[in-house]
This record gives sequence, structure tokens and C-alpha cells, in this order.
Amino acid sequence: VGRVGNRIRRLRFDNGEITQEELAKRAGCTRQTIIALEQERYVPSIELAFRIAGAFGVPLEEVFQYEAD
Amino acid sequence: MTLLQKRALYSFIIGLVLTVGVVIAMLSQGDIANFDSDSGQRFLLYLVMVGVPLTYLILMNLTLRKPTQMDERDRRVIERSSRVQWLAVVFTLVAWTIGLTEAYHGQDGVPVAFLNLIFASVLVVSGLAGSLGILFGYGRMD
Repeated sequence: VGRVGNRIRRLRFDNGEITQEELAKRAGCTRQTIIALEQERYVPSIELAFRIAGAFGVPLEEVFQYEAD
Repeated sequence: MTLLQKRALYSFIIGLVLTVGVVIAMLSQGDIANFDSDSGQRFLLYLVMVGVPLTYLILMNLTLRKPTQMDERDRRVIERSSRVQWLAVVFTLVAWTIGLTEAYHGQDGVPVAFLNLIFASVLVVSGLAGSLGILFGYGRMD
């Protein structure tokens, strides 16, 4: 089993420090889910992953990375 | 704490308070053997079975009228909590079955009052287990 990591916190910083609330609104999820994602306590569905990448205007692989064990 | 967790917490507290109230009311009625002859005891139980779910719904609507925003993570937790609910209901029924079999084996049957108690206990356990499932369901999900 591998691990799915993400750069959401970094991308928020790079995009003018947008808030978790703002990102949640853009991606269509709750702020608590963004928090869980940043802390890597939750792996999103492929649809939500695309929506988050779309919110930053970057390809999916720039946000999420898969590391095989 | 997510909105869904807050709702589950309120639901758990309200459910617990109602349950304790019902248990106290039932105990004050005395021996369950009187159930067949005491129409007052039977009426109280019917009142509880209708009144408690109604009170619960009214209180939940009064305290949480705002629509809750839910996303896929919340929905996944709800799915998990329904499994907790199902297990809790099964174990409650197992406990009743074993308990009543041991208490009344070799006799013609069990007092009819237990039908009502089994129903009421399943209702209570299901509600409380559902709330607990949501409260603790936001652990690591991957």
C-alpha cells in the first residue's frame, strides 16, 4: 500500500495565501476536509482531487503525488 | 469539529437524556409482570414509543435548523456510522435473545412486554450508535 501526499498548503501559500475557507468554496467541499487533506488524514476521491487542482489552475499531479512503498 | 459532528453530538446528548428519562419512568412503574394487568403501564410505554422519537425530532429541528453543508468526506463518515448502527442493533438483539432464552427457557413463552422493550431498546441503541459512529468516524480515512 502506498501513500498519497499533497502540496495543498504550499499551493495556497503560492497563490496569495488563499484561505482554507476560500479553497473549500472553490473546490466545493468543507473547510474541515481541506484541513484533513493538508494534514494528510484524508485521501480525496478522484473528482475532488481534480476540483482542487482546478481551483489552483494546475494539473492534478502538481497537487497530489503517489508514493509506492 | 465538523457541522455533522456537532449535529451528532447534540443528537447523542438529547438521545441520552431522553433514554435516561424513559428508564427512570419505566422503573418507577414497578414490576414488568404487571404489564398485562396494568393498562396504565402499557399506556405509558406506548406514549414513550411515540413521544420519544417525536420529541427527538422536534428538539433536533429546533437546535439545528440551518442546512448542513456536506461533502464527500461527511458522506463517507455517514456510511461508516450506518455500519456501526447495524452492528449495535445486531448485538442488542443477540443480547435480548440470549437473555430471554436463559430466563424463560422451558416455559410457554416470554411476557409480551418484552416485545415493546426490545423495540424501544433497538430504537435507542440505533440512534446512539449512529451518533457515536459519526463522532468517532472522522479518524484517518485513506
